[in-house]
Amino acid sequence: MKTPQPPKLARKLFEWYCGQANVQDLLGDMDELFHIRTAGKSAFRAKFIYWRLVISLMFSYAVRTRKRKAQSGMFASSSFSMAMLNNYFKVAARSLYKHKYFSTVNAVGLAIGMSVSLLLIVLYAHVCTFDNFHTNKSEIYRVVTSHHSDREWELAFAPFSIADDFNNGFAGIKKTVKITSGFSADAFSGKLEIPIRGFFTEPSFFEVFTFPLIKGNASTALVEPNAIVLSESTAKKIFNRTDVLGESIEFHNVGKFEDSIATYQVTGVMSDPPANSHMSFEILISHSTLKPYEQTYEGNYRAFASYGHQYIYFLIDNKAALANIKKRLNDFSAMASKRANVKIAFHVQALTDINPGTELVALTGGLGPQWDNTGFTIFGIICLLILLPACFNYTNISIARALKRSKEIGLRKTMGGMKNQIFFQFIVETILIVLISLLGALLIFYFIRPEFKSMMIGGSTLDLSLTWSILLLFIAFAIFTGFLAGVFPAMHFAGLNPIRALRGNTGKFSSKSVLRKGLTVFQFALSFCFIIALVVFSRQYRYTLNYDFGFHHENILDIQLQDVDQSRFRNEFSQLASVRELSLSSHVLGTSRWVGNTASIESQDSFDVYQIFADHNYLNVVKLTLLAGRNFPNEVWQHEKYTLVNEEFVKQFKLGSPADALGKVFRIDGNEIEIIGVLKNFNYSKLNSPIEAFMIRMNPDKYAVANLSVNFTDAFSGLEQMEATWKKLNPEQKFEANFMDDEIRETYKAYESAIKLIGFLGLLAISISLLGLLGMVVYNSETKTKEVGIRKVMGASIESIVLMLSKDYIKLMLLGALLAIPFAVAFSDKVLAIQYYHVSLNFWDILVSLILLITMGLATIASQTFKTASTNPAETLRTE
Amino acid sequence: MKTYLGEFEELVLLTVASLGDDAYGVSVQLEIEKRCNRSISIGALHSTITRLEEKGFLKSWLGGATQQRGGRSKRYYEITQAGKKAVSETKSMRDELWSLSKVKLSVK
Repeated sequence: MKTPQPPKLARKLFEWYCGQANVQDLLGDMDELFHIRTAGKSAFRAKFIYWRLVISLMFSYAVRTRKRKAQSGMFASSSFSMAMLNNYFKVAARSLYKHKYFSTVNAVGLAIGMSVSLLLIVLYAHVCTFDNFHTNKSEIYRVVTSHHSDREWELAFAPFSIADDFNNGFAGIKKTVKITSGFSADAFSGKLEIPIRGFFTEPSFFEVFTFPLIKGNASTALVEPNAIVLSESTAKKIFNRTDVLGESIEFHNVGKFEDSIATYQVTGVMSDPPANSHMSFEILISHSTLKPYEQTYEGNYRAFASYGHQYIYFLIDNKAALANIKKRLNDFSAMASKRANVKIAFHVQALTDINPGTELVALTGGLGPQWDNTGFTIFGIICLLILLPACFNYTNISIARALKRSKEIGLRKTMGGMKNQIFFQFIVETILIVLISLLGALLIFYFIRPEFKSMMIGGSTLDLSLTWSILLLFIAFAIFTGFLAGVFPAMHFAGLNPIRALRGNTGKFSSKSVLRKGLTVFQFALSFCFIIALVVFSRQYRYTLNYDFGFHHENILDIQLQDVDQSRFRNEFSQLASVRELSLSSHVLGTSRWVGNTASIESQDSFDVYQIFADHNYLNVVKLTLLAGRNFPNEVWQHEKYTLVNEEFVKQFKLGSPADALGKVFRIDGNEIEIIGVLKNFNYSKLNSPIEAFMIRMNPDKYAVANLSVNFTDAFSGLEQMEATWKKLNPEQKFEANFMDDEIRETYKAYESAIKLIGFLGLLAISISLLGLLGMVVYNSETKTKEVGIRKVMGASIESIVLMLSKDYIKLMLLGALLAIPFAVAFSDKVLAIQYYHVSLNFWDILVSLILLITMGLATIASQTFKTASTNPAETLRTE
Repeated sequence: MKTYLGEFEELVLLTVASLGDDAYGVSVQLEIEKRCNRSISIGALHSTITRLEEKGFLKSWLGGATQQRGGRSKRYYEITQAGKKAVSETKSMRDELWSLSKVKLSVK
């Protein structure tokens, strides 16, 4: 029969409990007693006996005393001493200084890795301060809507009927504020028209929110109709001063709510809404200005566009009232759902939950900047993808170089250094280097911040400045990073066997090389993905710009007509020497997405058709090809008679061949129009959408742009001449002219940003992997100097030695690239397909990327291996 | 009263003395259990030994590992001069009380 063994768990527990106290004799006693007492007993009973021994001792005075003694003894370490910490710093600094090369590689890598994360920290810290300036911030809520019709809509607005109900005295609600968004007009000041955006709202706005007034009375400012409150900077923009109470402002193009021109009287000036407000506006206009019928909502719940500009905020007395409010909203939801026959639900959302949103996706139709968690999650993942490889590098290099430090560790251990002391020492060392890197990261951060701001939507309002608390966050982040990078090497060093370490044999090293190789492969896979993305995106960008849109867009100048009389414009501009052809149209081809730019044709089946309005000369300017029929006749326009359509139109309406389609008549907007020409298909819209049925119609009322085919000898003086002509026609408005090429390029600006972003992140990822590679190669070359010396003596050529030193790394790089290819293919297929006419990833892209990666890798490797291979063997072998 | 020895303390001291060169944790425990015919807990025994060491009645040293102990050394105990004095004082006090007894103490 097997003799029972003491249960391991109990013994471990006891050893752990006793810590550094010397309890060998007690353990021995327990073993001995165990064997004596358990002879002939069942295994379970034996275990029970041992457990009883352990527990009895653990609670005994004997162990307590021994533990206490161990703490104050000569080699005690759990008492923390400043002297030791001091020593760690000194040793760390010396070691960093001694191995300058590796320290630099590590510090640069970590600095690059951390830089992007710093941006995330600043951004997130900024977003967390949103709306914290409101005194009542924890008592303010807004009503939001979930609308489930064709898809699920989460909306930031809700119909005003709810607010009206709350206003009829609802226990718990102190104040409600109705806000109607969407005021957008041009303030007319003397000669300039300044575009202004703002809200209509009630006097309670200033009671609920904390937007202090500099001038005027907060309680009466928004009472009277046609009263307007300006923000300080808006007042300066319009009047050039802030004491503007009682002044009146004329707005043009008010359109949406009033007649085209409206005059409002200034009743207050408020300080600018802070950048961290979820509402952004320049002015507030009294709600009583709106016509009464627009204030109350009785309409159609189904089409949420009908209350899409109505926002309800309320201030509550106590949190207990929320339950009642929610109940009332449920009643409303049921009522609205029933009436609209779709699922509609109204909820409350706390002001503090708006930014950063508690949901994954921000609500549709917010009043200002919105930050949802999806964006932050993606950003966070990108940061990790950059940061982790940098940490891997540190881990890799440190463990690989354990040999250099093993003597020191062996000695420390022999002198009584405990495991946790060694661990702590190396963590301190890592944190030191990370703090140095933080300075570098701050430098990079400083350079990329403006670029980042310009890239973000609404980035210009972001406050990404450094404050002391942010700096503290940075330091905390650096310490965290240090821990991340240093925990594995520290554990490795702490676990070294002192005897082996002193002998210079670090043992476990080889078992970790699989992990190390894995990390290297991962880094190169990541870098490879970035390179492929960069290559393929640039190709798509070039493809897009060089795409044959089917119309002429070189040397065409588009001038915004604004309020100029069309015939005068035509007369004056066609006389200029540089103008060859001139036509008027409603849009610029190849740019906007043409949303809502459709007309319904009344036939058996009505179709939506994209359209542009243009005059008879348009075909000559943009050079569209007529397949059949003729152009618009050059005659005085009375009413709409003719149209030109594209091939797709003919196909969609099943009109047969282009020639067959001629003469067919359609009813549109109450007019009978006849197809007089069929055009070859061309890309009237962005390449994101396919070519669909399209028609050119004639209607001078719709013309907004003049398209000039120009022939400049000197573009600058030519434009100056045009501007002078413009000044004659319309001295009040600015001359706005753009080359069509530029406008088309502007349309695809997103590509430029994306390429820039991918390029930058790719640069970071690649530099980190190359730094890691460099570190490993340097280390390997260093340890192999003797071997190389002997090989050379035995007759090896430099090339064969370089190959020997490099081939492992090349293998790892190729493996990384190979593993990355499926991901790259899947990813780029998805992303490229956002554009309807797009390129797809091909063999050459992969090859080019591979060559790029290998070249960079080889250059890195070669820089070291050549040095090692060409050293004189006499130098390296002499010391033996 | 110069020193105070509890009953168990006295028992441990005397057992250590009686075991001579072979007094260590397990032997003391087994000896007491055999002689007194009662089972004692290892925690209580070592607590008492620790207290006796602190009072200076016992001294100890490490040595004598065996296979059965998993190669761990034993801690041997020896009674010190002060320890001897303490037990003998206790004994003489007892003897005095015995001799002064007005009741016949011997039981048959």
